[in-house]
Amino acid sequence: MLKILASDLIKMKRKIIWLLIFLGPFGVAALEAVNFGLRYEYLTKEYEKDLWGGLINEAGFLATPALMLGLTLIASMIASIEHQTNAWKQLLALPVSKLRIFTGKMLLASLLLLISSTLLLIFVLILGLVLKFGSDFPLLGLAKMAYYPYLASMTFIAVQIWLSISMKNQAIPLTVGILGTILSLISFRFPDWLPWKWPLLENSWGDPAYSALAGLAFGIVIYFLGAVDFTRKDVN
Amino acid sequence: MKETIIKTSGLSKKFGTRYAVANVDLHIPRGEIYGFLGPNGAGKTTTIRMLLGLAKPTNGTIQIFGKDLKKEKLEVLKRVGSLVEYPSYYGHLTARENLEAIRILLDAPKTRIDEVLSIVRLTREAKRPVKGFSLGMKQRLGIAAALLGNPELLILDEPTNGLDPSGILEIRELIKSMPKEHGITILVSSHLLSEIDLMATQVGIISKGRMIFQDSIETLRRRSSSNIVIKTDEAEEAWKLLLSKGHNAELEQGRLQLSNISDHEISKVIAELVESRFPVYRVQEEKKSLEDIFLELTGGEGGL
Repeated sequence: MLKILASDLIKMKRKIIWLLIFLGPFGVAALEAVNFGLRYEYLTKEYEKDLWGGLINEAGFLATPALMLGLTLIASMIASIEHQTNAWKQLLALPVSKLRIFTGKMLLASLLLLISSTLLLIFVLILGLVLKFGSDFPLLGLAKMAYYPYLASMTFIAVQIWLSISMKNQAIPLTVGILGTILSLISFRFPDWLPWKWPLLENSWGDPAYSALAGLAFGIVIYFLGAVDFTRKDVN
Repeated sequence: MKETIIKTSGLSKKFGTRYAVANVDLHIPRGEIYGFLGPNGAGKTTTIRMLLGLAKPTNGTIQIFGKDLKKEKLEVLKRVGSLVEYPSYYGHLTARENLEAIRILLDAPKTRIDEVLSIVRLTREAKRPVKGFSLGMKQRLGIAAALLGNPELLILDEPTNGLDPSGILEIRELIKSMPKEHGITILVSSHLLSEIDLMATQVGIISKGRMIFQDSIETLRRRSSSNIVIKTDEAEEAWKLLLSKGHNAELEQGRLQLSNISDHEISKVIAELVESRFPVYRVQEEKKSLEDIFLELTGGEGGL
């Protein structure tokens, strides 16, 4: 499995995807910097009791759509590398099982987004320190802000990888992903079982861990379905 | 009896209600260059995809190296190198990086990259991004990729498609050298008979999904028997005369045709014609070309 990941990483060399990995979290932190810069008085008063908590809250709200959009683009880019010159036929005629190839793509997308999420944690931490919110920063809270939405959106990573790989025309997976992003933004009022609500970490139990867990579990199910579908289909 | 490398029986593939490949029995012995010939859309690529496990047969079995492809796919693929249709490559990567991405998956030694690059003579271009390569160079890179795993069987689908004459020559020489130098068995498909004629030792001809000929290239050439054509006046009278004398002559477009005839018999025929005062203008030998045989076999529909 490591071989497949190593091979996939070679294929990512000099790709714009790395810029995206960096730009996503950087953009969120930069927008928050502007947000706090412009409304410093108001926001510090609003979050007077817990400045770090306030920053995490604001950043988390922006991070969700960025993550949803980012995973859509990343899944599509990963698949496009093979679609472009129809390298699938070359790749799948190698002595590597189709299940492993599919799993490799899924792992790659997950890994790249994990890097993004970690960068988000670091950037927000730096922003908080620059804004002089104190050195007793809540690392657990920051980690939850960065990694809970990541886990909750695992469902969508699996869906987008499956869609992007199984069709050459990337307009369809991109449309699905963008519509999903919009849907997740307005899904506050939707019932808890709707996957688009999970990345927002809102649920009636009041514990974001449930949303993360649901996203992760359902993501594994979808990954499994996608893998079965991929191994069954003929290669074009 | 040489070992059989590829053996299929009753291999079929159905798309919708149409059979793209129907009941194909391939038989390829070790060390041969097997020319897989057929017009465009005859089912060559579909057959090759099935041999590589890219498509699942609707019916029939495939045995490669004596192993059932369905059961031991990965074991078989370890010993097979392939190039299917137009080349696949990662344009933003250099030739070396392209090969490296495949080498890792094959577990081949790193030195193998330099070896295959020199076999296809791309060593000097190894550090350039592949998107700037000519089609011939991309095709050669594809062959290099196919050779990475030191395969015993090489499957090349239309490797000379779209190349200029010098590129075609280069690839052809490369293919011809493989069995000699590396003991590799090669399956090479083409819609060009002249191509296959120049490199293959065995030929399989497929048309409309069915195998219509499979044997050595010599056997195919032997079918190109010669005809003796005689031009004379009053051909019909002359023809009747020859028939009455017991010669197996045919009348075609005002000319007399005698097939598979010995030198001795032809001299008798001419003597008889002259004795009966028929003017003999011309006696010529007409050899059927491979193209004629091919057209005959495929029922005249083109693709040459």
